[in-house]
Amino acid sequence: MRRALSLAGVVLRKELLDSLRERRAMAMALLFPLLGPAVLAMTLWVVGRTAHGAVERPLALPVAGAEHAPELVAFLRGAGVEVTAAPADPERAVRAGERDVVLVIPPRFGERLRAARPAPVRLVLDGSRQSAQRAISRARALLDGYGRQLGMQRLLVRGVHPGLAQAILVEETDLSTPESRAALVLSVLPYFVILSVFVGGMATAIDTTTGERERKSLEPLLANPVPRSGLALAKIAATALFAAAGLVETLIGFGLVPLLLPAASLGFTVRLDPALLLRTFLLCLPLVALLSALQILIAARARGFKAAQTTLSLLMMVPVLPGMMLAFLPLTIRPWMALVPTLGEQLVAARLLRGEPVAPAFVAGTVAATAAWAVLLGALAVRAFQGERIMFGR
Amino acid sequence: MIELADVHKRFGAVQALAGASFTVRDGCITGLLGPNGAGKTTALRVLYGVLEPDRGRAAVDGRDVARARAAAQRRLGVLPHAHGLYPRLTTREHLAYFGRLHGLTGTALRARVDEALGLLDLGPIADRRTDGFSQGQRLKVALARALVHGPRNLVLDEPTAGLDVAATRALRTLLGRLRDEGRCILFSSHVMQEVSALCDEVVVMARGTVVAAGSPAELQRATGHASLEDAFVAAIGSDEGLS
Repeated sequence: MRRALSLAGVVLRKELLDSLRERRAMAMALLFPLLGPAVLAMTLWVVGRTAHGAVERPLALPVAGAEHAPELVAFLRGAGVEVTAAPADPERAVRAGERDVVLVIPPRFGERLRAARPAPVRLVLDGSRQSAQRAISRARALLDGYGRQLGMQRLLVRGVHPGLAQAILVEETDLSTPESRAALVLSVLPYFVILSVFVGGMATAIDTTTGERERKSLEPLLANPVPRSGLALAKIAATALFAAAGLVETLIGFGLVPLLLPAASLGFTVRLDPALLLRTFLLCLPLVALLSALQILIAARARGFKAAQTTLSLLMMVPVLPGMMLAFLPLTIRPWMALVPTLGEQLVAARLLRGEPVAPAFVAGTVAATAAWAVLLGALAVRAFQGERIMFGR
Repeated sequence: MIELADVHKRFGAVQALAGASFTVRDGCITGLLGPNGAGKTTALRVLYGVLEPDRGRAAVDGRDVARARAAAQRRLGVLPHAHGLYPRLTTREHLAYFGRLHGLTGTALRARVDEALGLLDLGPIADRRTDGFSQGQRLKVALARALVHGPRNLVLDEPTAGLDVAATRALRTLLGRLRDEGRCILFSSHVMQEVSALCDEVVVMARGTVVAAGSPAELQRATGHASLEDAFVAAIGSDEGLS
């Protein structure tokens, strides 16, 4: 047993050295885990800018035909709107994205208003442009407000209580907190955590199995007095170490991004402190073992380098599904979800990163279930190395 | 000593070995001669424990390969048909890796690695990565790797394939020296001249079985042919696949 372990150690050391010298694969393995932090940084920056900037800045509203409605323009100015001259062709300007929204007041506005008939104004806008949404809704709200104000004055003049025209009163209580706004951003992070584990060890998993077979170095290796189980475990361990390195890199990146971006001043806070990241790391350790064993199992049985690469890349897409569901659907945690590897971890990681409590039983279940899967897949990987199967794949 | 007894091996529809039996003595270079597809590589692979026979047994110094694979492999140095080097490791790292896999450590390992480097005159390329080595350099690294743990038995699969004359001669000299040290050497080839120039004993294979075995003189006598070439052709039954 001790002999087998020390031989496995020899193989592990060689695989690590060999992998570290494979420059291109290493660059890929080291750069890819930074994708998550990069996406986080970009999302924080964009969300922060649009949410924050638009509230503070006064609405700049180009108005065409301002001379037809001087009172409306005065009302807008009074509400803090920067009324500017409209471009010659409002529709072209909006379509080109030069203006968010343009107000067009037709010549018959004053005449219709005086006749107490609905006076038309036109808002030129592009409803599909996310960045223009705030300007559009503010312009709409202001015009609605002006219209309501005039309507009430008319009722008052005719001796009718304005309240009669308002059948219901809507009060809004906005429960969104800075944290919950940040949660939207954070909901995509668990997927990137899982992804980093996948990518960190992938090159090593393929190189030490299919790669070794295609380079024909497998046969001389198998002619050595090394237990096949030791061989399989050493290759899983080498893969797991690189996977864990990818995970650590991603988590450290997540920890650094909020420090570099002043998220608090953007209207919400993202708290990714070291203790939290460490807990996420520990949560994912069984997953590191599971995915490494799975990658070695698949690569050892693959027909060739290309086949291994394709299969493992496709496999990487599988945890996207629960990841997407987490991001866009309110997924209720159910006990069976702990049993599904990557789903349990993503659910727990999502709660952890949002600073929400997670049931300890669910965490324990997730860790135990994933560890059990890891042992099962590890055993299958060891089996794939027995006999002569490993010589040919399949 | 190396023994193969009634070894059968089938790959799908192909019967690669159909009851192959032979014995290779110590202090002797034995050539495994046969046309392409005769089952030479399969026989050697069963011997060094990477293929499992359907029937029959293989043994190295009395250690059964199927039942005590590690013990048999410890007494064996192997040069497979493809040398299979790691392009990102140096010559010295190759030798050290295989030495460690045979349980060598510390100063004993270093001494053995240096010895193997010297034996094959690998000093000048000891610390270069093997990527870009010539065919002759690759063979020398693979051979040094097979010898680093000082095995009593040496198995080489078509060692001269792709070598120039100088490298072939150097290999011949080395094998002669190893034989004189009392080791058991088995190498396969489909080149008759090579076998007749180098071997004390010949095992002739065709269609998965051994069709003749003995010293070249014995073979000539048994087949009644004066030239060794004619003796081989007579033993195999055709000259197809030989050169």
